[in-house]
Amino acid sequence: MPRSFHWLIFILAWGAAAVPAARAQATETDLDALKKAAPKIYLDCGSCDLEYTKNEIPFVNYVRDRKEAEVHILVTSQSTASGGVEYTLTFMGQNGFAGIDDSFRYFSKKDDTDDDIRKGLVRALKQGLAAYVARTPIASRLQVRYRPEEKPADVRDRWDHWVFDIGTDGYFNGEESNSQANFGFNFSANRITEEWKLRLGLDASFAEDSFTYEGEKIKSTQESYSGSGLLVKSLGPHWSAGLSLEADASTYNNYRFRLVPALAVEYDVFPYAESTRRKFVFVYRLGYENVRYREITIYDKLRESLLSQSLSASLSLKEKWGSISFSVNGSHYFHDIKMNDLGVSAVLQLNLVKGLNAYLIGSGSRIHNQLALVKGSASLEEILLQRRQLATSYSYFAMVGLSYTFGSVYTNVVNPRFAKLGGGGGVSIHIE
Amino acid sequence: MISFSRSSFIAIAALILLALVPAAGLSQTAPSGLKVFLSGPEASAYAADLGFVVIVQNREEADMIVEINPAPGAGPIELLFLGQGKFQGKKDSLKYQPAPGEKPEDVRKGVSRLVQLGLLRFAAETPAAARIDVVLQDQVKPTAVNDPWNFWVFSLSANGFLMGDDVYKNQEWFFSASANRVTPDWKIQMSGSYVLNHNSYDYEGFVYESESRSKSATGLIARSLGEHWSIGAVVSASSSTYNNQKLYFTLKPAIEYDVFKYSESTKKQLCFLYYAGPETYHYAEETIFDKRRETLWKQALTVALDLIRPWGTMSVSLSGSHYFHDVTKNRLELYAKLSWRIFKGLNFDIYGGGARIRDQFALPKGGASYEEVLLRRKQLATGYSYYFSVGLSYTFGSVLSNIVNPRLSSGGGTSISISM
Repeated sequence: MPRSFHWLIFILAWGAAAVPAARAQATETDLDALKKAAPKIYLDCGSCDLEYTKNEIPFVNYVRDRKEAEVHILVTSQSTASGGVEYTLTFMGQNGFAGIDDSFRYFSKKDDTDDDIRKGLVRALKQGLAAYVARTPIASRLQVRYRPEEKPADVRDRWDHWVFDIGTDGYFNGEESNSQANFGFNFSANRITEEWKLRLGLDASFAEDSFTYEGEKIKSTQESYSGSGLLVKSLGPHWSAGLSLEADASTYNNYRFRLVPALAVEYDVFPYAESTRRKFVFVYRLGYENVRYREITIYDKLRESLLSQSLSASLSLKEKWGSISFSVNGSHYFHDIKMNDLGVSAVLQLNLVKGLNAYLIGSGSRIHNQLALVKGSASLEEILLQRRQLATSYSYFAMVGLSYTFGSVYTNVVNPRFAKLGGGGGVSIHIE
Repeated sequence: MISFSRSSFIAIAALILLALVPAAGLSQTAPSGLKVFLSGPEASAYAADLGFVVIVQNREEADMIVEINPAPGAGPIELLFLGQGKFQGKKDSLKYQPAPGEKPEDVRKGVSRLVQLGLLRFAAETPAAARIDVVLQDQVKPTAVNDPWNFWVFSLSANGFLMGDDVYKNQEWFFSASANRVTPDWKIQMSGSYVLNHNSYDYEGFVYESESRSKSATGLIARSLGEHWSIGAVVSASSSTYNNQKLYFTLKPAIEYDVFKYSESTKKQLCFLYYAGPETYHYAEETIFDKRRETLWKQALTVALDLIRPWGTMSVSLSGSHYFHDVTKNRLELYAKLSWRIFKGLNFDIYGGGARIRDQFALPKGGASYEEVLLRRKQLATGYSYYFSVGLSYTFGSVLSNIVNPRLSSGGGTSISISM
């Protein structure tokens, strides 16, 4: 066969293949152009499954910095009466979409699985994004699907708002020379309406550590039990009043048995309805503590009954630029005003400059009310394993962090390969 | 043991009784569908596509009025959404710009799509919203963006953790830097970190201080080969006082096979991962085998299953490794996590792991002090290790209640998650 004939066949075959390929290429280029013009969103959500969200909602562009975005979506959450979660999705348009703002809610149930929750959040995100996407050309490739109702849901509540929960958990670990076991039981019964809140709970927990050192076996145990009740009446959009009763026993705290009835009043500067984003509450509490100790205390007491009062103020805000929470708490006993403590705590997370994230979490307290300390010294194991409360006049903790990220702002890609091998990553912090 | 006094039970019982008094039932009325009135020439033609709202014939009855003007033709079509009644004050406007030469039926389809998208934000709190989905009809490339950095992301971070009281003080500092480039075809991840931990006890003259440091740098490069295969390599260098390592270095080529498609990884994944390569150790203290340094070749195979399904989630991974110079120097590790909704209200959670350990080369000859044992400051000789956690919870009652009542909730507060 002459060589030129080969060439001819090749050219014909190439030509035939090239026509549909060129057409496919054109639509792909169009799609790329549509995707480039799609809304840029910043998803400020600690509870979202981001990879799943990116797979399910491919008609927007995801960016890693809020300042680059056209839509900032802030997702905040609060627990519901039934033990589920209320997610509030606040959509804030900016840059090209300034002025288009929305807010949606999605409720999960207590027994919802991760898949149920991520599906629900994705649905709420899609509904919220529709208004922005409708203003960009990629809308032409979207389809709204509606699956009509099969049977109406039964919304009648025969339990009259009561929710019960029973749980048990355990944690165990070990190797040849040491082992640790913890387990606990809990029960709760709650009845929560907008007007009344009633919570009743019982808890028990046990811990045991054992070590072998130079042939000797050392065991250390800790147990605690508690019961609590809380009743709160709503008094308008800013005020609440309540009473509580706590009963507990704990080897760590040297309580054989402690019973504390208390009264409390709360005032929220913001209306309670805004609590998912803003809260500024003052709480006053008056309590009557009845204690029987396990071992004689440094004040030579085996039992005592004491009246105390406390006041606290706490502010928490969640905004586009980050979140702030700050609280101050002070208390004292009436029989001796020098028996007091004062605590402050703060959480600050800021993203003020493009790429720069900072957080500060701290708390400190001045302690002059350790009435339950055991007379005599603690053993070395008790100290190192933190098995017993020790005398201290202060305690603090702080976490600070700063991170700066630059480079590509797009985070559209989901690439799950070699996830088990690890590698880079960097640090991500989420506070809610 | 703990003895509860009788008075406490009486008090708890009193509280329960008190609670039964305010049983004021609060009726929650389910919101019905969004009532929409369509206005404008040919507007009623769009009614058929709007299954998720209730189309009403009187303007007065409607929650939202949609004005669509003019009739589909060559010019742009304006859509005006206006709320009234309990939707008073809500409004929006959208515009449909037909492409040159676009056929009237295509224009009509386009306008209909915009009416649906535009109404979604107003219909979101109706029961129908749970049955609406918005989908993109095509596959788009996630990399179709204008990115001057070509997908490189760099990050620097510093973190500190401090705590203390009269007796106990702890400080931990963590610094890291990373450079990543992740596209569907390539994954490049590099990071370095330095961790310093210092803690001290001072109790009645007994002073104990301890410090641990670790440094590490790792890099991963992976190339995607279709929907099921990937090849790559991991390189890593580290030092750790816990592990008696002055320096550890490894380079391992790796290959991975996903039985399912990688594109389904957020739902299910069953991966086989194999790697082999040398590991070089420089020990801080002489080991129980009288070594100060050595280079050993190793191979490892991991099988991992990850499922996120409507009934719950499950992860199981089994990995085995051995050194080539002595096959009896090996390790077998199992990790499993299951979160399962057995039936409505009953959730079961378990996670745990165990290891059979036959490859502890790095144990220092000198052993560990009593404090180092209690504080877990040094790796100890062991043939196995395990940990597991189980939890079972059952919820019943008014499980559909969506009421949020934030009043006098002690604590509540802030949750912080930091992943490194």
